[in-house]
Amino acid sequence: MDCKQATSLMHEYLDDELFGEEALSLQRHLQECPSCQMHFKELEQAELMLFATIKRSSLSASDELVDRIMKSIPSQQKQRAWLQWVKRHPALTAAAMFLLVMLFSTISLWNSDDQLIVKGKDLDHVVINGRTVTVPSGSKVAGNLTVENGTAEIYGEVEGNLTVIDGSYYQASTAKILGEVRSIDQALDWLWYRITNTFTEVAYR
Amino acid sequence: MVDHFDVRLVKLARQGDQEAFADLVDVYKDKIFHLAYRMLSNRHEAEDIVQETFLRVYKNWERYDEKQKFSTWLYRIATNLCIDRLRKRKPNYYLDAGMNDQEGLDGYTLIPGDERTPESEYLLTETQQTIHYAIEGLPAKYKSVVILRYLQELSLSEISDVLDMPVTTVKTRLHRGREFLRKKLQHKVL
Ligand SMILES: [Zn+2]
Repeated sequence: MDCKQATSLMHEYLDDELFGEEALSLQRHLQECPSCQMHFKELEQAELMLFATIKRSSLSASDELVDRIMKSIPSQQKQRAWLQWVKRHPALTAAAMFLLVMLFSTISLWNSDDQLIVKGKDLDHVVINGRTVTVPSGSKVAGNLTVENGTAEIYGEVEGNLTVIDGSYYQASTAKILGEVRSIDQALDWLWYRITNTFTEVAYR
Repeated sequence: MVDHFDVRLVKLARQGDQEAFADLVDVYKDKIFHLAYRMLSNRHEAEDIVQETFLRVYKNWERYDEKQKFSTWLYRIATNLCIDRLRKRKPNYYLDAGMNDQEGLDGYTLIPGDERTPESEYLLTETQQTIHYAIEGLPAKYKSVVILRYLQELSLSEISDVLDMPVTTVKTRLHRGREFLRKKLQHKVL
């Protein structure tokens, strides 16, 4: 074995990948060759120092970093703010249920205007079946798509935003929506507005 | 066990659970920070990298393949961001970096227990500094391999996944990086 070959085997050894016959022949060479012995010792010590120094110095990011990161990520859940409020204030929510009864007449008014509305610049590739608006797989809608009072089923591509008002949407694994997906529940948001405002009035009376 | 915990958190975070996402950030922020600090030798830049890494994770969930370990994906994003930064640095800034930012040099990490003496403290700080500068001087392509190996203790095949390069290339770079460090440390520490 020459020294160049020995060096390459030293690295294999440090990678934990040298076994059997090769390991023995490296050992034999090291016994006969003082310069390789030195080289090996240096490599081994450098490796130990690296593990000890890098691994064991514990560095940590500043504590407020998590907060900063959470603030920097775009929040997609804004429409659901009322839901989080409900979760955090169960007692008030129960009280609010009474008010619901009073508000029923207004809600049904809201619901009376519930015909399907599909808005968008490019609706050629959109298939409408009853209340279901489908963008079939392989087809592309240029620009935004808005569906009101229906279900949007996206298998293909929407180049803009998808907005669903008072409806629901389904996104297939093949779907590609380049813009934002927003789901707006007007009745609930409006109801929510009414409930919170009623409470404020009650609280200050 | 840890992996199982990870998988659950990742699933929830992918579905938009903000608390699960915050937990993931909490679990991994220091690891990514340490990696970035070793790559860039600058605390401020390292924190930027942590933030940018998680922002990318958040925006690119659909690109994450659940068959892959989450940590591997995370290291890949962070390493690529660091390499980009190193490339963009002006050469003179590169030389200056780390000279006035010594927070990462903790002289105590090698000393066991209470056997500290002023001399050994001094010596170890010197040693650590030497190693710090040796790593800093590593060319970027060796640096990422060396840091993933010694800091995150990844196997060669894991490093090949993170850096998206063949294991043979990882090996060559690790071997060259090791030789580079050996020569740098030869007369100073060893
Ligand atoms: Zn030899």
